[in-house]
Amino acid sequence: MSMKILTVDDSRTMRDMLRLALTSAGFDVVQAVDGLDGLDVLDRENPELVITDINMPKMDGFGFIEGARKIGRFRVVPILVLTTESDPDKKMRAKKAGATGWIVKPFDPVKLVDVIRRVAA
Amino acid sequence: MDPMQAIKVTFFQECEEQLGELETGLLAMQEGSVDDETVNAVFRAVHSIKGGAGAFKLDRLVKFAHVFETTLDKIRNGALAPANAVMKTMLRAADVLADLVTVSREGGAFDDTRSNELIAELNAHCDEKAAVKEAHPEEEGDNNPFAALGWEPVSLSLEPEINEYLIVFRPKPELYAKGNETTRLMRELSRLGALTVHCEIADVPLLANFEPEQSYLSWRATLRSHQDIAAVQAVFEFVDGDCHLDIEPVEASEAHAEPVAEVAPEAAPEAVEEPKAAASVPREAAKAEAGGQGNATQNTIRVDLDRVDRLINLVGELVINQAMLTQRVLEAGAVKNASIATGLDDLEHLTREIQESVMAIRAQPVRPLFQRMSRIVREIADATGKNVRLKTEGEGAEVDRTVIERLADPLTHMIRNAVDHGLERPDARIAAGKPAQGEVRLSAAHKSGRVVIEIADDGRGIDRPRVKAIAIKKGLIAPDAQLTDGEIDNLLFMPGFSTAETVSNISGRGVGMDVVKRSIQALGGRIAITSKLGHGSTFSLSLPLTLAVLDGMVVRVADQTLVVPLNSILETMKPKPGEVYGLGPDTQVIGIRGGFTPLIDVGYALGFRTHRADPMSGVTLLIETEGGVRSALMVDAIQDQRQVVIKSLESNYGHVEGIAAATILGDGRIALILDTDAIVHSSSGRNSPSDMLLAG
Amino acid sequence: MPAPRVIELPEYLDMPVAAQLAEAFLKLAGAPVAVDASKVSRLGASCLQVLLAAARSWKVEGHALTLSNASARFLEDLNLLGLEPDTFLTGVIAP
Repeated sequence: MSMKILTVDDSRTMRDMLRLALTSAGFDVVQAVDGLDGLDVLDRENPELVITDINMPKMDGFGFIEGARKIGRFRVVPILVLTTESDPDKKMRAKKAGATGWIVKPFDPVKLVDVIRRVAA
Repeated sequence: MDPMQAIKVTFFQECEEQLGELETGLLAMQEGSVDDETVNAVFRAVHSIKGGAGAFKLDRLVKFAHVFETTLDKIRNGALAPANAVMKTMLRAADVLADLVTVSREGGAFDDTRSNELIAELNAHCDEKAAVKEAHPEEEGDNNPFAALGWEPVSLSLEPEINEYLIVFRPKPELYAKGNETTRLMRELSRLGALTVHCEIADVPLLANFEPEQSYLSWRATLRSHQDIAAVQAVFEFVDGDCHLDIEPVEASEAHAEPVAEVAPEAAPEAVEEPKAAASVPREAAKAEAGGQGNATQNTIRVDLDRVDRLINLVGELVINQAMLTQRVLEAGAVKNASIATGLDDLEHLTREIQESVMAIRAQPVRPLFQRMSRIVREIADATGKNVRLKTEGEGAEVDRTVIERLADPLTHMIRNAVDHGLERPDARIAAGKPAQGEVRLSAAHKSGRVVIEIADDGRGIDRPRVKAIAIKKGLIAPDAQLTDGEIDNLLFMPGFSTAETVSNISGRGVGMDVVKRSIQALGGRIAITSKLGHGSTFSLSLPLTLAVLDGMVVRVADQTLVVPLNSILETMKPKPGEVYGLGPDTQVIGIRGGFTPLIDVGYALGFRTHRADPMSGVTLLIETEGGVRSALMVDAIQDQRQVVIKSLESNYGHVEGIAAATILGDGRIALILDTDAIVHSSSGRNSPSDMLLAG
Repeated sequence: MPAPRVIELPEYLDMPVAAQLAEAFLKLAGAPVAVDASKVSRLGASCLQVLLAAARSWKVEGHALTLSNASARFLEDLNLLGLEPDTFLTGVIAP
C-alpha cells in the first residue's frame, strides 16, 4: 500500500505539479485548496503525510497546521510546509504551529521525495 | 499531452484568474480598502504567479513578479503606505505583469524597457520608506528562486578525507509533537557515513511515573563521513529549536572507542514504498480529484469545448424530436388518452430543462471581461488626461463564452468612447459643477432571458444639434430630415459617423460605433443609447445568453413558415397605398418618413413564388443589416414571436442562399431562419445605399 | 510457573501509540510478560522509552520481561537508536 499524501495549496498549478511529482514517485495523493478544506479532507482521507502551502485564502497554512495538530490522530503526522518564502520568520512560525519541516518552491521532484522520505521513513 | 505541458496550460489559466484578482484587489486598495484580506489576496496573486513561473523557468516573469511581490510585502507588513502614487505604480505593474504572462504564454517580443522602468519605480517606492522600517534581508533563495531548484546535492568530496563528528542530541517533547522522529534523524545520519550511536537511558522512569509525552532519552553519536559539517547540520534542519543539539568535529586521531552499536551506512536510500505501475496513475489522478470535494474550485472538471458543443447539438435534436413526437401524437388523436398527454407534457418539460442545463455549461461570468476593462479605462484616462473611476456591477452574470469572447472588442471600444468622448476634462467638469473625477459604470444583469450590459458615463451627454449637423454635413441624412431624439442618437451608429472632429488615436483608428453595433448584432444582440445633455450617456447592450437559441419572429411567406431574427427587425408596418413605388421592372421602394427604403418580397427573393405579391396584401418588416443598411422585407403575415433552437443546415444541406439555419417549431413544423443580410445583399444589386440617399 | 502474558506490539510504534502501549503494560503489571515484536515495522523513540520504562519496572518487581520474534525492522530501528536487544532488556538497571 502506498503512502497517502495530502497536498494543500490554493494554486491549481502547484497542486497539479505536486500530484505529478508524487504520483510518479508512487504515492497516493489527495488534495485540498485551502486550510479549511485541508482540515476537512484530512479528516475524511486520513493521509499519512501532509504538504501544505502557507499563503492561502480562507485559512492559511499556520491555521491549518494548528488545526491539524488538535485532531488526535494527526498530532504527529508529518506536515511539510511548501513555500517560496525563504523568510526564516515564516519557517519558525510554521514550526511553532507544528510543522515537521519545509520544502522550498520551486521544488525539484527528486528532492521533494527525498524530504518526504526524511520525515516519513 | 506531456503532463508538464498540461500543467503549464493550467498555470496560464490560473495566471489569468490571479491577474483578475490582482486587478480587483489593487482597485479596492486604491479606493481605500487596505484591510488584511484585500492586501493578502493581492500579494497571494503575485506570489502564485511567481511560484508557477519559477517552476517553468519563466525567468523574466519571475524577476518582475519578485520585485512586485517584495513591494507588496512592504505594504502588507506596514513598511510602505498604499498612497495614491504607490497604488498607481502597482496598477501599472499589474499591467506589465499581465503582458509578461501573455508573452510567456504566446512567445513573441517583449520590450524590457517597460518592465525595467516599473522595476525601478517599485524599487524606488521600497527605498523611500526604507528608513521607516528596515526591510528584512532577503535570503539568496528568494532573490533567485532557481537557486532553490538545485538544493545543492550534498557535494561529494573527491579527497578521501574522512571527517568525524560528535553529535549530542537531546530532543524536547516538541520535536515529537511536530511529527519529527529520532529514528529517522539517525537513519539520515547513517546515510552520511559510518554511524555509531549511544543511547542515554538513565532518565527513563518506572512505568508508574512515566509520562508518554515526555522525552527521557538522549543520544550521543559519532559519525565518520566525507561530508562537511553543513551536511550533518542539514539533517537536523527541521528540528532546530526542538532539541538540544551539539555537533562538533573531532580530530581524526581521537577516534572514539566505545561503540555500543555500529550502524552500517546504507548503500542507497530506499524508496518509501514500491513505485506504482504507471498504468495506475490515471486512477490516482481521479482519486486525487475526488479527494477535495466540497469546495467550489475543486468541484470543476475541464471538458473539451467540442464535446460540450456536440452535447448542445444533440439536445437541439432532442428538442426538435420531442416537438415532432408531440405533433404525431396529436395527429393520431391519441392525446385524448390522459396519461399519454401527461407523459408528453412531462417529456416537454424535461426536455426544456435539459436544454437549459446544457446551455448553462457554456455560460461563464462576465467578471474576467469586466476586470480587463479597468485597465482600458486606466490607459485611456492617462492618455487623455482625464480622471476616471470605473465602477462595475453584476460581474457574476453568466453568458455564453463565445458571447463573452466576442464582446471584448466592442466593449473595449465603447469604454474608450465613454472616456474619450463622453467624459469632460476635470476643469470642464468642475466648471459644470460636477466632481473632477468622472465615472464610467459597467454593469451586467439578466433581464427576461437575456443579459443586459450597460456602459454609462456621467459626462456631457450627446450634443444632438451637433450630431445632426455632422450627419447632414457628411451626407448621412437629408438636410431637412425631421428626426426624433432617439433617431439622432442612433446616427452615431451609422457607418462613417464620428463625432470627434479629428479621429482620435484612442477611440479608434477610423473604427466607429457602426462596427460596434455590427459586432453586437452578429451576436444576436441589440444596442441602444439613452442620453441626457450635461448628465451623461448610457449604452445598453441586450445579448442572448446563448447562441444556440434565437429570438425570432415567425412569419408566413407563400405557405412557408420562416423565422426572422428579432434583433435585426427595427419595426413592422402595413404599407399604405401610395407609399410603394416601382423603380424599374425589378425594384420597389417604400417611403418611410421622407426617405425611401428598398422593398424586398421575401417569397419572390427565395423563389417561393414567381411573381411579386401585392405589397398591400402583406406586412413589411423594416430591418437593418449588419452593414447598417435598412431594407423593408415583405412577408404575408406575422404569426408569432418566440425563441427557437438553431439547427445548422450546412452539415446536411450545405449553404442555402438567404437561409441562415433552420428550426423546428413547437407544432413540429420545420421553419427556415432567414439570413437577412444575405437576402438584402442578393436583392440589392441595383439598390446600393447611395442610390437611396439620392432618392431621398 | 504460569505462561507469560503476551503483548503483541503494533506495526507502527509511533508517538501516538506510546500512551496506549504504556497502559497496556501497566495492566499486566505483576506478571511475566513476553513482548512480541514480530509485526513491528517502525520503532520510534517515544515507544522505545515506554519499552525501556516497562523493562525497568518489571526488573524492579522481579518479573520476567522477554522480547520475542523481533522483526528485522524492529532490530534495525533499535540499532539506529543506539540499543541492542540484550542491552535493551538487561541494561536498564545500569546505575
